[in-house]
Amino acid sequence: MEYIDNIPIYLQIKDILYRKIISNEYELGSQLPSVRQLAVQFSANSNTVQKALKEMTEENVIIPQRGKGNYVTEDVSIVSKLKDHIVTEMFDTTYDKLHSLNMNDKEITTSFNNYVKQREQDHE
Amino acid sequence: MREILNIKNLNYKKNNKTILENINLSVSSGKIIGLLGENGAGKTTLMRLIAGVNSIPEDVITVNGTTKKAAVKENVSLSDQLGGFAKNTKLSEVVKFYQNVYSDFSVSKYKEISQYLGLDNDKRLSGLSTGTLGKLVIALTLSRNTKLYLLDEPLSGIDSMSRKKIISSIIRWKNDDSTFIISDHYVTEIASLLDDVIIIKDKTIYEVSSVEAIQKKYHLGVEEYYEGVYEGSVTK
Repeated sequence: MEYIDNIPIYLQIKDILYRKIISNEYELGSQLPSVRQLAVQFSANSNTVQKALKEMTEENVIIPQRGKGNYVTEDVSIVSKLKDHIVTEMFDTTYDKLHSLNMNDKEITTSFNNYVKQREQDHE
Repeated sequence: MREILNIKNLNYKKNNKTILENINLSVSSGKIIGLLGENGAGKTTLMRLIAGVNSIPEDVITVNGTTKKAAVKENVSLSDQLGGFAKNTKLSEVVKFYQNVYSDFSVSKYKEISQYLGLDNDKRLSGLSTGTLGKLVIALTLSRNTKLYLLDEPLSGIDSMSRKKIISSIIRWKNDDSTFIISDHYVTEIASLLDDVIIIKDKTIYEVSSVEAIQKKYHLGVEEYYEGVYEGSVTK
Protein backbone atom coordinates (compact mmCIF):
# COMPACT_ATOMS: atom_id res chain seq x y z
CA MET A 1 0.00 0.00 0.00
CA GLU A 2 1.18 3.48 -0.84
CA TYR A 3 -0.14 6.07 1.56
CA ILE A 4 0.09 9.82 1.56
CA ASP A 5 2.42 10.54 4.48
CA ASN A 6 0.68 13.47 6.06
CA ILE A 7 -2.95 12.30 5.99
CA PRO A 8 -4.18 9.97 8.76
CA ILE A 9 -4.14 6.38 7.48
CA TYR A 10 -7.66 5.66 8.73
CA LEU A 11 -9.03 8.42 6.49
CA GLN A 12 -7.19 7.00 3.50
CA ILE A 13 -8.50 3.51 4.24
CA LYS A 14 -12.02 4.85 4.59
CA ASP A 15 -11.70 6.59 1.25
CA ILE A 16 -10.51 3.41 -0.51
CA LEU A 17 -13.34 1.36 1.03
CA TYR A 18 -15.89 3.98 0.00
CA ARG A 19 -14.63 3.88 -3.58
CA LYS A 20 -14.93 0.09 -3.56
CA ILE A 21 -18.50 0.36 -2.35
CA ILE A 22 -19.39 2.99 -4.95
CA SER A 23 -17.81 0.97 -7.77
CA ASN A 24 -19.78 -2.04 -6.53
CA GLU A 25 -16.67 -4.11 -5.81
CA TYR A 26 -18.30 -4.44 -2.40
CA GLU A 27 -21.97 -4.86 -3.31
CA LEU A 28 -24.93 -3.45 -1.40
CA GLY A 29 -25.76 -5.70 1.52
CA SER A 30 -22.57 -7.75 1.19
CA GLN A 31 -20.22 -8.64 4.01
CA LEU A 32 -16.92 -6.79 4.30
CA PRO A 33 -13.72 -8.76 4.93
CA SER A 34 -12.82 -9.12 8.62
CA VAL A 35 -10.81 -6.45 10.41
CA ARG A 36 -7.70 -8.62 10.30
CA GLN A 37 -8.11 -9.40 6.61
CA LEU A 38 -8.48 -5.69 5.89
CA ALA A 39 -5.49 -4.91 8.10
CA VAL A 40 -3.32 -7.34 6.14
CA GLN A 41 -4.66 -6.04 2.83
CA PHE A 42 -3.96 -2.43 3.82
CA SER A 43 -0.68 -3.16 5.68
CA ALA A 44 -2.18 -1.25 8.56
CA ASN A 45 -2.75 -2.05 12.15
CA SER A 46 -6.15 -3.31 13.21
CA ASN A 47 -6.76 -0.32 15.50
CA THR A 48 -6.48 1.90 12.42
CA VAL A 49 -8.86 -0.29 10.40
CA GLN A 50 -11.30 -0.29 13.34
CA LYS A 51 -11.23 3.48 13.37
CA ALA A 52 -12.06 3.69 9.65
CA LEU A 53 -14.91 1.19 10.12
CA LYS A 54 -16.22 3.10 13.12
CA GLU A 55 -16.60 6.27 11.07
CA MET A 56 -18.19 4.32 8.21
CA THR A 57 -20.68 2.94 10.71
CA GLU A 58 -21.41 6.41 12.07
CA GLU A 59 -21.99 7.58 8.51
CA ASN A 60 -24.44 4.67 8.05
CA VAL A 61 -22.54 3.23 5.09
CA ILE A 62 -21.80 -0.04 6.85
CA ILE A 63 -23.79 -1.84 9.49
CA PRO A 64 -22.06 -4.01 12.09
CA GLN A 65 -23.85 -7.23 12.97
CA ARG A 66 -23.01 -8.71 16.29
CA GLY A 67 -20.62 -11.61 15.93
CA LYS A 68 -20.89 -11.56 12.14
CA GLY A 69 -18.84 -8.59 11.08
CA ASN A 70 -19.70 -5.59 8.97
CA TYR A 71 -22.18 -5.37 6.12
CA VAL A 72 -22.55 -2.74 3.41
CA THR A 73 -25.83 -0.87 3.70
CA GLU A 74 -28.70 -1.96 1.44
CA ASP A 75 -29.85 1.64 1.16
CA VAL A 76 -29.12 2.83 -2.40
CA SER A 77 -29.66 6.47 -1.48
CA ILE A 78 -26.79 6.41 1.05
CA VAL A 79 -24.38 5.04 -1.53
CA SER A 80 -25.52 7.46 -4.21
CA LYS A 81 -25.02 10.37 -1.80
CA LEU A 82 -21.54 9.05 -1.12
CA LYS A 83 -20.89 8.94 -4.84
CA ASP A 84 -22.13 12.51 -5.33
CA HIS A 85 -19.86 13.60 -2.55
CA ILE A 86 -16.75 11.98 -4.01
CA VAL A 87 -17.54 13.19 -7.54
CA THR A 88 -18.02 16.73 -6.24
CA GLU A 89 -14.68 16.53 -4.45
CA MET A 90 -12.96 15.51 -7.70
CA PHE A 91 -14.65 18.30 -9.67
CA ASP A 92 -13.78 20.84 -6.97
CA THR A 93 -10.08 20.41 -7.58
CA THR A 94 -10.34 20.37 -11.36
CA TYR A 95 -12.72 23.31 -11.54
CA ASP A 96 -10.51 25.44 -9.28
CA LYS A 97 -7.45 24.60 -11.34
CA LEU A 98 -9.17 25.52 -14.60
CA HIS A 99 -10.43 28.74 -13.08
CA SER A 100 -6.93 29.65 -12.05
CA LEU A 101 -6.02 29.41 -15.76
CA ASN A 102 -8.46 32.26 -16.28
CA MET A 103 -11.09 30.11 -18.00
CA ASN A 104 -14.72 31.12 -17.55
CA ASP A 105 -17.57 28.66 -16.93
CA LYS A 106 -18.56 28.54 -20.58
CA GLU A 107 -15.02 27.77 -21.69
CA ILE A 108 -14.71 25.10 -19.01
CA THR A 109 -17.98 23.45 -20.11
CA THR A 110 -17.03 23.53 -23.80
CA SER A 111 -13.58 22.18 -23.19
CA PHE A 112 -14.93 19.44 -20.93
CA ASN A 113 -17.50 18.40 -23.58
CA ASN A 114 -14.78 18.30 -26.23
CA TYR A 115 -12.61 16.27 -23.90
CA VAL A 116 -15.34 13.67 -23.35
CA LYS A 117 -15.95 13.42 -27.12
CA GLN A 118 -12.25 12.92 -27.70
CA ARG A 119 -12.12 10.14 -25.11
CA GLU A 120 -15.14 8.45 -26.73
CA GLN A 121 -13.41 8.54 -30.11
CA ASP A 122 -10.23 7.13 -28.58
CA HIS A 123 -12.26 4.20 -27.36
CA GLU A 124 -13.82 3.39 -30.74
CA MET B 1 -6.95 0.36 27.83
CA ARG B 2 -4.70 -1.04 30.53
CA GLU B 3 -1.18 0.16 31.12
CA ILE B 4 1.24 -2.51 29.95
CA LEU B 5 4.50 -0.66 30.48
CA ASN B 6 5.58 2.04 32.89
CA ILE B 7 9.03 3.53 33.27
CA LYS B 8 9.83 5.92 36.13
CA ASN B 9 12.97 8.07 36.15
CA LEU B 10 15.19 5.65 34.32
CA ASN B 11 18.85 6.61 34.21
CA TYR B 12 21.37 4.28 32.68
CA LYS B 13 25.13 4.50 32.47
CA LYS B 14 27.58 2.16 30.83
CA ASN B 15 31.33 2.42 31.46
CA ASN B 16 30.65 5.70 33.23
CA LYS B 17 29.00 7.14 30.14
CA THR B 18 25.35 8.21 30.30
CA ILE B 19 23.33 6.30 27.70
CA LEU B 20 19.82 7.21 28.83
CA GLU B 21 18.64 9.75 31.34
CA ASN B 22 15.39 10.78 32.92
CA ILE B 23 13.23 8.39 30.90
CA ASN B 24 9.56 8.40 31.89
CA LEU B 25 7.06 6.48 29.84
CA SER B 26 3.60 4.97 30.02
CA VAL B 27 2.32 2.63 27.29
CA SER B 28 -1.21 1.25 27.14
CA SER B 29 -1.94 -2.24 25.86
CA GLY B 30 -3.01 -3.20 22.36
CA LYS B 31 -0.94 -0.66 20.50
CA ILE B 32 1.82 -0.81 17.94
CA ILE B 33 4.39 1.81 18.78
CA GLY B 34 7.41 3.02 16.84
CA LEU B 35 10.59 3.70 18.80
CA LEU B 36 12.48 6.21 16.69
CA GLY B 37 15.93 7.63 17.09
CA GLU B 38 19.19 7.84 15.17
CA ASN B 39 21.81 5.10 15.44
CA GLY B 40 23.35 5.15 18.88
CA ALA B 41 20.43 7.05 20.41
CA GLY B 42 19.86 4.24 22.90
CA LYS B 43 16.93 2.40 21.30
CA THR B 44 18.48 -1.05 21.72
CA THR B 45 19.58 -0.26 25.27
CA LEU B 46 16.07 0.86 26.19
CA MET B 47 14.60 -2.34 24.77
CA ARG B 48 17.12 -4.50 26.63
CA LEU B 49 16.33 -2.65 29.84
CA ILE B 50 12.59 -3.17 29.38
CA ALA B 51 13.15 -6.86 28.68
CA GLY B 52 15.23 -7.21 31.83
CA VAL B 53 18.41 -8.19 29.98
CA ASN B 54 20.45 -5.21 31.17
CA SER B 55 20.50 -4.66 34.86
CA ILE B 56 18.89 -1.71 36.68
CA PRO B 57 17.13 -1.27 40.04
CA GLU B 58 13.98 -3.37 40.14
CA ASP B 59 11.37 -0.69 40.79
CA VAL B 60 12.05 1.48 37.72
CA ILE B 61 10.30 -0.58 35.06
CA THR B 62 6.83 -2.07 35.46
CA VAL B 63 5.53 -4.50 32.85
CA ASN B 64 1.96 -5.75 33.07
CA GLY B 65 1.75 -4.66 36.68
CA THR B 66 4.92 -6.30 37.93
CA THR B 67 8.44 -5.02 38.66
CA LYS B 68 9.88 -8.43 39.52
CA LYS B 69 12.64 -9.29 37.04
CA ALA B 70 11.60 -12.89 36.48
CA ALA B 71 7.96 -11.96 35.92
CA VAL B 72 8.94 -9.11 33.61
CA LYS B 73 10.97 -11.53 31.48
CA GLU B 74 7.91 -13.76 31.12
CA ASN B 75 5.86 -10.85 29.87
CA VAL B 76 8.31 -9.58 27.27
CA SER B 77 9.44 -11.11 24.00
CA LEU B 78 12.53 -9.29 22.73
CA SER B 79 13.82 -10.01 19.25
CA ASP B 80 17.26 -11.56 19.25
CA GLN B 81 19.64 -11.57 16.29
CA LEU B 82 20.73 -15.13 17.24
CA GLY B 83 24.40 -14.14 17.40
CA GLY B 84 24.89 -16.50 20.34
CA PHE B 85 24.30 -19.62 18.23
CA ALA B 86 27.04 -21.44 16.35
CA LYS B 87 26.80 -20.82 12.61
CA ASN B 88 26.16 -24.47 11.80
CA THR B 89 23.11 -24.69 14.10
CA LYS B 90 20.01 -25.96 12.32
CA LEU B 91 16.86 -23.84 12.47
CA SER B 92 15.04 -26.77 14.08
CA GLU B 93 17.67 -26.78 16.86
CA VAL B 94 17.19 -23.06 17.44
CA VAL B 95 13.46 -23.72 17.74
CA LYS B 96 14.12 -26.49 20.27
CA PHE B 97 16.28 -24.10 22.27
CA TYR B 98 13.48 -21.52 22.35
CA GLN B 99 11.03 -24.20 23.39
CA ASN B 100 13.27 -25.22 26.29
CA VAL B 101 14.05 -21.71 27.49
CA TYR B 102 10.60 -20.14 27.15
CA SER B 103 7.63 -21.97 28.60
CA ASP B 104 5.31 -19.67 26.62
CA PHE B 105 6.89 -20.58 23.26
CA SER B 106 4.22 -22.08 21.00
CA VAL B 107 5.55 -24.63 18.52
CA SER B 108 2.28 -24.67 16.60
CA LYS B 109 2.38 -20.89 16.23
CA TYR B 110 5.98 -21.14 15.06
CA LYS B 111 4.96 -23.73 12.47
CA GLU B 112 2.22 -21.48 11.11
CA ILE B 113 4.42 -18.39 10.96
CA SER B 114 7.50 -20.15 9.57
CA GLN B 115 5.36 -21.75 6.90
CA TYR B 116 3.87 -18.38 5.99
CA LEU B 117 7.35 -16.88 5.77
CA GLY B 118 8.70 -19.83 3.81
CA LEU B 119 11.38 -20.87 6.31
CA ASP B 120 13.10 -24.22 5.83
CA ASN B 121 13.78 -25.65 9.29
CA ASP B 122 16.35 -28.14 8.00
CA LYS B 123 18.65 -25.31 6.98
CA ARG B 124 21.53 -24.07 9.07
CA LEU B 125 21.98 -20.48 10.28
CA SER B 126 25.09 -20.14 8.10
CA GLY B 127 22.99 -20.79 4.98
CA LEU B 128 20.53 -17.97 5.61
CA SER B 129 20.46 -14.68 3.72
CA THR B 130 19.98 -11.50 5.77
CA GLY B 131 16.32 -11.43 4.70
CA THR B 132 15.69 -15.02 5.75
CA LEU B 133 17.46 -14.48 9.06
CA GLY B 134 15.18 -11.48 9.63
CA LYS B 135 12.17 -13.68 8.96
CA LEU B 136 13.44 -16.33 11.39
CA VAL B 137 13.98 -13.71 14.10
CA ILE B 138 10.39 -12.47 13.63
CA ALA B 139 8.93 -16.00 13.63
CA LEU B 140 10.74 -16.86 16.87
CA THR B 141 9.83 -13.58 18.57
CA LEU B 142 6.15 -13.76 17.61
CA SER B 143 5.85 -17.43 18.62
CA ARG B 144 6.14 -16.60 22.28
CA ASN B 145 2.78 -15.87 23.91
CA THR B 146 3.56 -12.73 25.86
CA LYS B 147 1.99 -9.34 26.50
CA LEU B 148 4.75 -7.12 25.16
CA TYR B 149 6.81 -7.66 22.03
CA LEU B 150 9.94 -5.65 21.42
CA LEU B 151 11.22 -5.75 17.85
CA ASP B 152 14.65 -4.18 17.50
CA GLU B 153 15.08 -2.91 13.93
CA PRO B 154 13.29 -5.88 12.36
CA LEU B 155 13.64 -4.47 8.83
CA SER B 156 17.23 -3.28 8.96
CA GLY B 157 19.26 -4.47 5.96
CA ILE B 158 16.42 -6.61 4.65
CA ASP B 159 15.22 -6.77 1.03
CA SER B 160 11.85 -5.28 0.20
CA MET B 161 10.01 -8.57 -0.46
CA SER B 162 11.06 -9.93 2.94
CA ARG B 163 10.22 -6.61 4.57
CA LYS B 164 6.66 -6.82 3.29
CA LYS B 165 6.31 -10.40 4.53
CA ILE B 166 7.67 -9.43 7.95
CA ILE B 167 5.25 -6.51 8.22
CA SER B 168 2.27 -8.62 7.26
CA SER B 169 3.24 -11.39 9.67
CA ILE B 170 3.19 -8.82 12.47
CA ILE B 171 -0.33 -7.77 11.45
CA ARG B 172 -1.51 -11.37 11.07
CA TRP B 173 -0.21 -12.73 14.35
CA LYS B 174 -0.62 -9.78 16.70
CA ASN B 175 -3.27 -10.43 19.34
CA ASP B 176 -5.60 -7.52 19.94
CA ASP B 177 -4.44 -7.12 23.52
CA SER B 178 -0.72 -7.59 22.94
CA THR B 179 1.51 -4.56 22.52
CA PHE B 180 4.36 -4.04 20.08
CA ILE B 181 7.26 -1.64 20.28
CA ILE B 182 9.21 -1.55 17.03
CA SER B 183 12.44 0.38 16.71
CA ASP B 184 13.64 1.68 13.40
CA HIS B 185 15.47 4.55 11.85
CA TYR B 186 13.63 4.30 8.53
CA VAL B 187 10.08 5.13 9.43
CA THR B 188 8.09 5.35 6.23
CA GLU B 189 7.75 1.63 5.75
CA ILE B 190 6.29 0.94 9.15
CA ALA B 191 4.41 4.24 9.44
CA SER B 192 1.11 2.69 8.34
CA LEU B 193 1.49 0.15 11.13
CA LEU B 194 1.98 2.53 14.02
CA ASP B 195 -0.51 3.97 16.50
CA ASP B 196 2.06 6.06 18.33
CA VAL B 197 5.70 7.00 18.11
CA ILE B 198 8.28 7.50 20.83
CA ILE B 199 11.10 9.76 19.67
CA ILE B 200 14.43 9.44 21.48
CA LYS B 201 16.82 12.35 21.21
CA ASP B 202 19.72 13.54 23.35
CA LYS B 203 19.62 10.46 25.60
CA THR B 204 16.03 10.96 26.64
CA ILE B 205 12.47 10.79 25.34
CA TYR B 206 11.83 13.87 23.25
CA GLU B 207 8.18 13.14 22.64
CA VAL B 208 5.46 10.51 22.67
CA SER B 209 2.69 11.22 20.19
CA SER B 210 0.06 9.46 18.13
CA VAL B 211 0.87 9.32 14.43
CA GLU B 212 -2.50 10.89 13.72
CA ALA B 213 -1.77 13.87 15.96
CA ILE B 214 1.47 14.53 14.06
CA GLN B 215 -0.34 14.37 10.73
CA LYS B 216 -3.12 16.64 11.91
CA LYS B 217 -1.06 19.13 13.88
CA TYR B 218 1.93 19.57 11.58
CA HIS B 219 0.57 18.27 8.26
CA LEU B 220 3.69 16.17 8.08
CA GLY B 221 4.33 12.47 7.69
CA VAL B 222 6.03 10.74 10.62
CA GLU B 223 9.33 10.48 8.74
CA GLU B 224 9.42 14.20 7.90
CA TYR B 225 8.41 15.12 11.42
CA TYR B 226 11.05 12.90 12.97
CA GLU B 227 13.76 14.22 10.66
CA GLY B 228 12.60 17.75 11.42
CA VAL B 229 12.94 17.07 15.14
CA TYR B 230 16.53 15.91 14.65
CA GLU B 231 17.42 18.80 12.37
CA GLY B 232 15.77 21.24 14.75
CA SER B 233 13.40 22.58 12.07
CA VAL B 234 10.30 21.34 13.90
CA THR B 235 9.47 22.16 17.47
CA LYS B 236 6.82 20.77 19.75
